[in-house]
Order: sequence, then structure tokens, then C-alpha cells
Amino acid sequence: MTHSIISLKNISVSYDGEQVLKGFNLDIHDGEFVTLLGPSGCGKTTVLRTIAGFVTPEAGDVFFNETKINDLPPHKRELNTIFQKYALFPHLNVYDNIAFGMRIKRKKESEVKKTVVELLELVNLSGYAHRGIAQLSGGQQQRVAIARALANEPKILLLDEPLGALDLKLRKDMQVQLKEIQQQTGITFIFVTHDQEEALSMSDTVVVMDGGEIQQIGTPIDIYNEPKNAFVADFIGESNILDGLMLEDFKVRFAGHLFPCLDKGFSKNTPVDVVIRPEDITFVPQDASHIKGEVTNVTFKGVHYEIIVDVDGFKWMIQSTAYQAIGEKIGLSILPDAIHVMEKSDYSGTFGDYSTFSDEMEEDMILEEEAELEDENEV
Amino acid sequence: MKMKSKIYTFFIFLFLYAPIIVLIVYSFNDTVTGSRSVWGGFTLRWYRKLFEDRLIMEALRNSLIIAFSASFFATILGTIAAIGINSMKSLGRKIMMNVTNFPMVNPEIVTGVSMMLLFVFAVSLLNGRTLGMGTLIMAHITFCLPYVILSVLPKLRQMDPNLYEAAQDLGCSPFKSFWKVVLPQIMSGIITGATMAFTLSIDDFVISYFTSGTTQTLPIYIYSMTRKRISPEINALSTLLFAVVLILLLFANFRQKKAPSEKAAKGGEV
Repeated sequence: MTHSIISLKNISVSYDGEQVLKGFNLDIHDGEFVTLLGPSGCGKTTVLRTIAGFVTPEAGDVFFNETKINDLPPHKRELNTIFQKYALFPHLNVYDNIAFGMRIKRKKESEVKKTVVELLELVNLSGYAHRGIAQLSGGQQQRVAIARALANEPKILLLDEPLGALDLKLRKDMQVQLKEIQQQTGITFIFVTHDQEEALSMSDTVVVMDGGEIQQIGTPIDIYNEPKNAFVADFIGESNILDGLMLEDFKVRFAGHLFPCLDKGFSKNTPVDVVIRPEDITFVPQDASHIKGEVTNVTFKGVHYEIIVDVDGFKWMIQSTAYQAIGEKIGLSILPDAIHVMEKSDYSGTFGDYSTFSDEMEEDMILEEEAELEDENEV
Repeated sequence: MKMKSKIYTFFIFLFLYAPIIVLIVYSFNDTVTGSRSVWGGFTLRWYRKLFEDRLIMEALRNSLIIAFSASFFATILGTIAAIGINSMKSLGRKIMMNVTNFPMVNPEIVTGVSMMLLFVFAVSLLNGRTLGMGTLIMAHITFCLPYVILSVLPKLRQMDPNLYEAAQDLGCSPFKSFWKVVLPQIMSGIITGATMAFTLSIDDFVISYFTSGTTQTLPIYIYSMTRKRISPEINALSTLLFAVVLILLLFANFRQKKAPSEKAAKGGEV
């Protein structure tokens, strides 16, 4: 890795007396695809707006290539933003939108034309140059926004949930396209999303945030396999999180039994959180396992079944391609490498089993989150 | 039932427009006595006389100067005010909107008298010029202002606030962002507001009457003509005034309807 292109040091921001970021530190390396991931209201958009210069932090410094840019207004920063709702200029057509930044910089019209044609090709919109913005679909507007931002040859591209308004299929296509554009241009991408799958599939580095603080920074694989605390474990993918006791290196006790594991370095008899991913659990006959339970819920998810198993009142989630009938009594088998041990944190106990789990509830939560997101946008 | 509602509509329109139609018809009446009830054939004499009348032409000139300058300044001030109000927090905005709306419902005669008192007071303080063109323009700016604000504000609220930021993001200074991006978005509201201000200003009588001093505007002149003698010239003059205001109103409405589709259709140059 090369030097940091953006450094945030001890940034604090609050809106109307409500602290959004507190003592926030982040280093972003040149050429990286970094994703800020977190639930709505976690401060990720504020981080982006601080980098862009639309938010002035109360405390802390912003560095760009090791130069302090706290007082540099947005239009003098060598970076561009792709806004959530694209913010294309409705009074200009596609061509003029993309040419906007270059014309502000007084580039020659011949040069402008060359760049616009190239960019339209890059985002697969050749032939759309003279369309009005209102005549484009959401996905096309999205791509015009990308082209418009790239036209300024930014050092950094900031993307504020740019795929949020697209439908699932289009979103997947755009994820691939964005990643390709990033690799072709080598521009540093700072991407904000609340969609963990999007974050995992696109990024070099994921920054998981909650409550205005960074919970974990790492590669997608690290974040998924080695979550630092219960929040990260719960937010990224599905997790069974149990209270445990680390007896000694490679030995952890949870669910009333002793399990061999691969974790070490905790002092003896440390209380810990134990994470077991639903796909790492296999079904065995009851006699063959310490953990015995009864199937209470089965949901077909396409690739696999999502099966809830009640073990002495704790409800486990298991993802398996093998169908189990409701009411069936079965055993659960957990291999040592499926067990991930985390230190206790403020989040311990907040996330636990799937006793309240139901599809309806999940849908409600998604709707709520979307409603919140909309509120956030209106502010 | 359908017949009834048609008859009803007919009478409503008759009631509303009959006086104006009579006025227009009699502005073409060829009469020697100046009678307003006997039809004596078609003529354009009154219009010719109108344009030969030096006093009327002067009043017209005054009215146009006032209407153009008042609508010009009211549009600029109103647009700036609308931008300010739009960026306020909800409580401040509510208060400002009420303060803005109040002069529109305030009886004109009260506005007129109070302005006259204010101007007379100010003139005596400054110990200089009396009521006249200057005070008329100021008064007209004042009562036109709320109409401009009310036609610009909705355009600002419809606009995606990120547009302003996007322009800065692409390298525009804040002022240039406003000029290149925000202004085109709210232009239709500004033009509507300016047109409204112009029509309100050109036919205002009550407030002008109190703040004009010796300066004659068209409506004031018409009023003074009716006091001396009733001449068909008034019909002709009123017809022209009516036509101008009608055209401007149609223009404003037409623009409002056209605005949304215009955005999509308008292409830029390459």
C-alpha cells in the first residue's frame, strides 16, 4: 500500500446538538476501494460530506495527500461526489451535464467533446448524448452521474449510496460496472452503503460503523470471518452469538459444553462472545452431538433453507441445503474452525438468538430502515 | 341537469364579463355627444384621440416606468428573500411566511394611507423631495414583493438541494453554482413572479392614489377624467389597459403550464 490520500484525524461533528461523529479517525490509501458500511444514522454519510467539504467539523483535521484541507471549500477539492439521487442538472442534457465540470475549468471545447465521448462509451451510453435527463431511466441517470464525476479526473470519487434507488438486478450489474471502472481508472473510491452484501462484494477495505464510531476496519473476508464484536457479527451476515467462557487457549465453553476451537491469546476464564455462522453448522442425529434441539421454523430461501432450531430455549439459525421438518429433533455439529471467539463489548447481549425471528418481522425492519433513510435524506 | 349547469355557467360569465364587454364595445362607438347609451356606428376616433392626448401619454409613460422598475426590483428582492426563507428552519420559515403574506390580505387602503404617512414623515425628515415617482416606485415594490416570493418559493422547494452542492462539487464557486444551476431551476417561478408584479403595478389605484403626490399614473388619470366629464376616451384607455393585463396573465399561466415539459425537451448545444 502507498501513502494515505485522505486522513481524518479526531473529527467531531454534531447536528443540532446531537453528536454524529466523535473523535473519528480514518486513513484511506491511494487507489483503494473503501466502503463505509453501517445502519442508517451511523454517521457514514457525514464522513463522506466531511471529506467533500460540505460539512465543517467542529474539531479535528482533514488531510488530503498530507496537506490540511479543513478550510478548503468544496469546489477547490480534487474529488467528486456521486449523490444518492444523482443530482443531475435537469436543465441540461446528458452531454452538457458531463461537460459541466470541464467547462467550468475552461477546457477547450474539442477536448471536452473527446472526453465526453470517451466517458459515454465507458458507461455504455454512447448515443444518449442529446437526451434530456428526464428521459433517462434510473440506471442510466446513475451512469451519467458517474461519467459527470469522472470527467473532472478526480483523485477520489465519493459515492453516497449510489445504488440505493435501483432495483436488485440493476444494482448487481452496477456493482460489477463500478468495480470495473474503479480498476480501470485507479481512482480511490469511497463508497457509502448500508447494504452489507454490496460492501463485501465490491470493496478492498470495509469500514463498519455504528453510533458515529468505527467498529472494525478490514478486508471483506476478515470482517466476515473475524468480526471484532457482536455488532459487526450481527450486521455482516447472519450470526448465532452466544455467551461463552474462554477456559484456556483453544478451549471454549458455551451452550453448556466444552468445544475445541482455533482461538487463543485470551487470559484464562475470560467471558467472551462466541459467533457461529449459520452455514457452518451441520445436522447430525441427536445421539451424535452435545447440542440437541427441535426444529421450530423452516424458510426456503432458494439456495438453502433457513432453519430455526430451539436448543434449551436458545434459538439457533442454521442454513442448510438439507430440508428438516418442523418438530423434528436433531443434533447440531460444530467444527473447531466454525467457532469464532470475540471479546465482550458494549454490544454483548444486544444481539443473541433468533427467538424473535420471523420473516414478517424482518420485512418490517427493512421497511422501517427505509423510512428512516428517507427521513435522513429530507433533513 | 346538464342544460341547467350550462345556463348557470353562462350567467356567471355574463355577470363577470358584461361590464367589460360593454366597455370594449363602447370604446368603438361613434358619437358626437359623448353619449354612452346610444350606438352611433364604429370608429377608432377615441383611440386616435387617446394617443394625441399629451396628459394621457405622460400618465402612461409614468405607469410604465413605475411598473417596469417596481417589478424589476421586486423580482430581485423577492427572489433573494425566497432563497433566504427556503433555507430557514421550519419555525423561522413559518414566521417569515406569515409576515410575507400579511400585506396581501391587509386592506389596500390601510397600506396606502400608512405608506403615505410614512413617506410624508420621511420626506419631512430628509427635508427634500416631495411625494412622486420615487415614493410610487417604493410603494409598488413593497406590495409586489410577496407575490414574487410566493411564486419563487415553490420552485426552490421542488428543487433537489443536492443540485447546488453538485455544482460546487464540479468546481463552481457558491455564487457560480447559484447562477449556473439554481437560477435555471427557479427561472419559471421568477418570470411568473415578475409578470404578476408588473400587472399588479400597472393597474394599481388605491395605494398609488395615496403615495403619488402630483404624479399622474394611468389609473389615477382615468379616475380624474371621470370626475371632470365622462368621455369615451376612458373606454378606449380602459380597454387597452384590460388587454395588456389580460395578455400578461395569459402569458404567466401559459408559462406555468409549459414549465415541466420544457425541461425534458430543451437540449443543449454541442
